[in-house]
Amino acid sequence: MKKYPLIILLILATGFLARAQSTDPLINNCVMNTGSNTRYLKDFRVQLGKGSTTGEMRYKAQMSLWKNTKYRFSMCNSDDSQGQLILTIKDESNKVVLSSYDQNTKKVYPFIDFICNKSGIYTLNYDFNEGNQGSGVGVVSMVR
Amino acid sequence: MKGKFFLVFIIVTCFCTSCRNSSNKTTEFIFPEADSVPLGESEKLSTEAIEEISKNISSPVEIANLLQMMSVPFSPDYLASSIDPNKQITAFDKALTLGILGADLGYLNMYERTGSSIDILSSIRKLAEGIKVGQFFDFETIKRLSLNKSNLDSLLFLSIDSYTQIDKYLRDNARGQLSSLMIIGVWIEGQYLATQVVKNYPDPVLKDRIGEQKIILNDLILLANPYCSKDAEYARLCGYLQQVKEKYRDVRISYTLGEPVSVEKDGGLVITQTETSKVEMTEEQLADIIQITKEIRDKLITKN
Repeated sequence: MKKYPLIILLILATGFLARAQSTDPLINNCVMNTGSNTRYLKDFRVQLGKGSTTGEMRYKAQMSLWKNTKYRFSMCNSDDSQGQLILTIKDESNKVVLSSYDQNTKKVYPFIDFICNKSGIYTLNYDFNEGNQGSGVGVVSMVR
Repeated sequence: MKGKFFLVFIIVTCFCTSCRNSSNKTTEFIFPEADSVPLGESEKLSTEAIEEISKNISSPVEIANLLQMMSVPFSPDYLASSIDPNKQITAFDKALTLGILGADLGYLNMYERTGSSIDILSSIRKLAEGIKVGQFFDFETIKRLSLNKSNLDSLLFLSIDSYTQIDKYLRDNARGQLSSLMIIGVWIEGQYLATQVVKNYPDPVLKDRIGEQKIILNDLILLANPYCSKDAEYARLCGYLQQVKEKYRDVRISYTLGEPVSVEKDGGLVITQTETSKVEMTEEQLADIIQITKEIRDKLITKN
């Protein structure tokens, strides 16, 4: 009989977690602030611990990007994030096509508009500047 | 020793020459033909690799966006309205149909025909519950957003996010075959939409987008391959995908090289890619692709 409260608790917890996945306020805020002329496509939730300052970017995801489309890549950080989320995109030949981080000035851009003229599968590489610990979200949308 | 030095010299010279050629902006090269996907290879794909492949498949929202940019009016004729969720008996049918209707939902949402999407939403709900993934679809919120047209971005986000969660849940719970079916369904319906529209609106941009599907076609086949011998339904679907691939065999995609140009604007960066892709596809090839897409899509929804 004592088992039932535990089972109910587990069911409630599972339900809560399932709901929480789709109601992450950071994702919602980031999606809502990409601009009025945009249409949401995808988001990438990035949470990383402290890493190396010079190493490879740690969060990678592939995505097809299409010619004649203007994409907006927005980066948002949670309040407790020590680093700022940065993005580098490489094409299939591993060539960098864009980066939101300027190595020379150390400037981090919060969004990049990318006018794509070559359809293909690209790799989105996310990390936090200087290899810092951080929590953020990258949102991909189309600019109309 | 001199012989070894000479050999190294020749190799280095050849390597440098080929590099110089590839960096020339006017050089064009043909996209490699990856026409064969060995079944054995696809079976070895890790869950992570399959997850990555699934992200590559283009969103129907992007196709719908392209149609809007071309000022193509909305037409309910393109929708798979004849689908009756109650007639989808097997998990195979439910998952595939879930994908097809997901693409239709994206099309409706983009055109803000959200009032009309309620019927499709109800069908999606039934199908999702039929394969026990209904918990990832927040139907009430999506329905509310659809009816009051308050925030299209919220609606798109919730709709796409629900499908993303279903996809992840199915893969995490060893039901990856249903996830693959869903993705294939989305692609086929998006391809159907594009190929039907191009008949009346033969815009070069839309033609290119149809031709460019060759880039992800092999990925799509990779998703299906591990299940081709599972049963007759899967085998038939794999056969359909091979038929599409055959029609794309002589479509060519070539690239010209260039360096991206970036400027700062409104606190962000605007980057224009000067590298370009070019599709070489004849009218006959396009007609074949339109026809095979229609045939396959109609077969998939005719049991309704």
